Amino acid sequence: MKGLIPLVLGIFGTFTFSWVGLTVIPNLQIGHLDPQMDEEGTDVYPAPKSGMTERGRRVYAANGCIYCHSQQVRADYAASDIDRKWGERRSAPRDYIFDRPVLIGNMRMGPDLSNMGKAAPAEEENAPPAGASPAGAPSASPAGPPAGSANQTASSAAAPSPAAKPAASLAPAGASPPPSAATAPVATPADKTKTDEYSAAWHHRHLYSPRSISIDSNMPAYRFLYEKRRIAGDRSADALQLTGSEAPPAGWEIVPTYDANCLVAYLMSLDQSHPLKEVKGVAPAASPAPAAPGAPAAAAPSPAASPAKGGQ
Amino acid sequence: MNEQTPPPDQRVRQGMDYGEFEEVQEVHAAIQREKREPRVGLEPLSIWLIAVYGLAVFFGGAYLGRYSGNFSGDGLDPLGGPPPTKKAGGAQGEQQQTELTPRDRGKKIFAANCQTCHQANGLGVPGQYPPLAGSEFTTGGSRRPGMIVLKGLQGPVTVKGQKFGTAVMQPWDKTLTDQKVADVLTYERSEWGNNASPVTAEQIAALRKELANHPDSFTEPDLLGVPADAELSGGAPAGAAPPKPGEAAKPGTPPKPQG
Amino acid sequence: MDATEIPLKAPSVSTDVPTSNVEQIERALIDASTRVPVLMFYTSAIVWLLIGTLLAGFVSFKLHSPDWFSNVSFLTWGRVRPAHMNVMVYGWASMAGMGTAIWLMARLCRTVLRHPLLLVAGAGFWNFGVLLGVGGILMGDSTGYQWLEFPPYAAIVLFVAYSLIISWAVLMFRFRRGDQIYITQWYLLGAFLWFPWLYAAAQLMLFVVPVQGVMQAAVDWWFANNLLFLWFGAIGLGTAYYMIPKVIGRPVYSYHLATIGFWTYALFSSWTGMQRLVDGPFPAWMITASIAATILTIIPVATVGLNHHMTMQGYFPLMRYSPTLRFTVFGAISYTVFSALGVLISLRSVARYVNFTQASIAYSHLGLYAFFTMVIFGSMYYIVPRLVGREWRYASLIKLHFWASVYGIGLMILMLLAGGFLQGANMDNPSLAFSESTQTILPYLRGRSLSGVLLTVSHFVFAFHFGLMLFGLGRTSSVPTFLNPVETEGSEVHI
Repeated sequence: MKGLIPLVLGIFGTFTFSWVGLTVIPNLQIGHLDPQMDEEGTDVYPAPKSGMTERGRRVYAANGCIYCHSQQVRADYAASDIDRKWGERRSAPRDYIFDRPVLIGNMRMGPDLSNMGKAAPAEEENAPPAGASPAGAPSASPAGPPAGSANQTASSAAAPSPAAKPAASLAPAGASPPPSAATAPVATPADKTKTDEYSAAWHHRHLYSPRSISIDSNMPAYRFLYEKRRIAGDRSADALQLTGSEAPPAGWEIVPTYDANCLVAYLMSLDQSHPLKEVKGVAPAASPAPAAPGAPAAAAPSPAASPAKGGQ
Repeated sequence: MNEQTPPPDQRVRQGMDYGEFEEVQEVHAAIQREKREPRVGLEPLSIWLIAVYGLAVFFGGAYLGRYSGNFSGDGLDPLGGPPPTKKAGGAQGEQQQTELTPRDRGKKIFAANCQTCHQANGLGVPGQYPPLAGSEFTTGGSRRPGMIVLKGLQGPVTVKGQKFGTAVMQPWDKTLTDQKVADVLTYERSEWGNNASPVTAEQIAALRKELANHPDSFTEPDLLGVPADAELSGGAPAGAAPPKPGEAAKPGTPPKPQG
Repeated sequence: MDATEIPLKAPSVSTDVPTSNVEQIERALIDASTRVPVLMFYTSAIVWLLIGTLLAGFVSFKLHSPDWFSNVSFLTWGRVRPAHMNVMVYGWASMAGMGTAIWLMARLCRTVLRHPLLLVAGAGFWNFGVLLGVGGILMGDSTGYQWLEFPPYAAIVLFVAYSLIISWAVLMFRFRRGDQIYITQWYLLGAFLWFPWLYAAAQLMLFVVPVQGVMQAAVDWWFANNLLFLWFGAIGLGTAYYMIPKVIGRPVYSYHLATIGFWTYALFSSWTGMQRLVDGPFPAWMITASIAATILTIIPVATVGLNHHMTMQGYFPLMRYSPTLRFTVFGAISYTVFSALGVLISLRSVARYVNFTQASIAYSHLGLYAFFTMVIFGSMYYIVPRLVGREWRYASLIKLHFWASVYGIGLMILMLLAGGFLQGANMDNPSLAFSESTQTILPYLRGRSLSGVLLTVSHFVFAFHFGLMLFGLGRTSSVPTFLNPVETEGSEVHI
């Protein structure tokens, strides 16, 4: 090749071609999306995260969680993510418009986390009666909204117990991510560890000692996110409930740092279950299952759908 | 040094005036045995290679044509046609609206309006935004939170023993309907460990009429002047919002056939 | 192009066209002028290689033995892993690549290296930038974008460093002699121009005028894949195009193949990248475009592969003797394997099982190590003696280096590919708990750690050997260090 100019032009041209084609044009297509709003403007999805959850995102990014965890649910024709209950529908670009940095990840040494917040149990299900250990129960006030049908039924009816029955009966059919969350609406001490899966306290325990939750886990322990300190007066409300060799010596407690709280707040805010008009749901069952058009039939959050499934 | 190097005292300059000494000889050893700089031959293209090119272009092009989901920004499905139409989405959205419980609706309203300050976990921000979780104003009688949401709050206030006062809460009476205020209060009063009675739209409507002539925001003394357990009156008893078509108000109601 | 000297088809006995004295002196002067900058780049690169290898060992072991050092924030796996990757990409590979490219540019432009201070300052700033970046990552400032984890304060330093280096490259090209631009120079010019454009575009679209939502991931992977092909791949191919014909003394087989190979490479490999995001929240067409482009990269791969193969035709036995040739040819063959694997795992039907698994790590390492690093090792074995005036001291160390690297990377790729496919198959089966997939890959991860031991040995051996050369402790001889004794009398093996 003789000419330097044609060479440089070609080098520039091929680069620009790919830059325009793979970044500029898609940016024009999906780079300026607005959240989906209903007619009255009250149902906005997604909403920007704020405060502690935003900081939690930074903690997540800085500590390299993306190198093991993804946050994208693939469509049912492409993979079995939805079968694994990692989500009710595939992820769409609109789910991530307020995420910076976007943390969709590309490695799964650990499960997908897109709907980790949705998997959290309802607060009232594991809050013990007022007299018992005050707020020492698995609650550093989880940010995660309860989503299982049992929760709504339990709370919207004045008396929890009659409503809890149908909730319990339809929950097994519903198979929401932590099946245990819906099966025992009133937490008894015996199944506390089951019912508090994916609650804030569970996350703290998991981050502090993954192998105490799942012996097979390869996740590193994030002990540096926690402080060990003397118990001053009463035990702190958010001290970790640890047992066995993990537990601190008597008179000491393990408390999350601010970053740990932010990280857990972030994790519990992860929820992509809100339906999007542009995403085809999983083929809906006979009942409308309206709030989650892609949901497997009985996992509908609305009590209206459940009787239609014959859950009485 | 190789055999040809003269002893140090007999070194002479050599080379083309570059002041180099015999050290250059060492480099020369490697260079002397070097082949010439690379050059290029002119063999023609093999026909088999052109066949390979053709195959690659064919498969690549075919793949591009088949799996591009219409080249549209909405086409997430590689095999897909146009995205689901608005109509279908809209109908589902409406259905969605009528099927949701007050708490569900309240949750959405909260997320859209209140969450940025009071946080999704209801804990607020220390010193700035009071918490709603376990707050005596939220969980006590429904009158006080009704007042706060409708007319706003300013000035210092103590919640759960902590002081707040740097931020001002806007009144929501012009932005939110009675039903929405009722729904968001119902949500707040039953979330994050709170366990207080729901609020109805009728109750808020009555309160709104009562406060119609009140200038904008309340202050802490105003709130403290109201008994902590004062409930709103008016409207149906707690928990029984008039069932909308299609919604089953209580479990046990025979299911209505859904469309 | 002088066609009369070129043998057609059948390889003749190597006609050792003696180079004139003037040419030799010219080369000697060029080499002497490149000494300081290139050695500076090489030394920095090798130090980073050692650091990166130790970090890699840590990363590999912690993946199957997670409880080491969990109390220490800067040693948590999620920080050490990007630290390792960035040290290797920006510390080792980039600097070694630049060192080789500098020498090649000087030789091919047939002009003494001018303004060496630009390069020395560039190397210094680059080292500083990498140090700052890696420190930042370990301290918790990682940006969260893969291959771009360096915090902005480190990225700026890299920009400053590179602006010095690219100014030098432009000057060299401006003052080159001879009217033909050899193949290697196309690739190197491309690499030197593509890298800053890529880096600047990525930094702009992610940090300065940030794009929204998932476009960040698209830009991120567009950058990462293009870096692999247009920066590292271009330097690697350019180096191979120099070393192979140079060492065996034959012309490159075909100019036409080289031209087609270069332009199709530039065109198609720049469009890859999105296939890493297959089935993700993106419009399907951009993923498919990348997959189609990956299929089309068969064209440059076949072309370049054929070109090199026909050039080497009849001369493969020389690999017994020449370390440069051995490393370079291994690298060139790996390039073909790497590309073939890339095509395979990008197809949606295969990606279903391979996505989110360790197989993509195997792919990256195949490209960056088995291809690029091995080619660069080969070039270092050729260039360093010409800079320090000594020959490599121990053929046995070279052999150890080669075989430890080959077995190491071979084992690693095998373990990660096999393990990755199994991991993916398990993940795709919803009746199996998720933890099954991670349990399945555990023994393969242990095997990978073993390969890491081999690679560590290899790199330390090489670093030691290089250190000997640096301190003038190489062999003084006019005969190069052959890997095996040359049997035939008066053979034409002159490397």
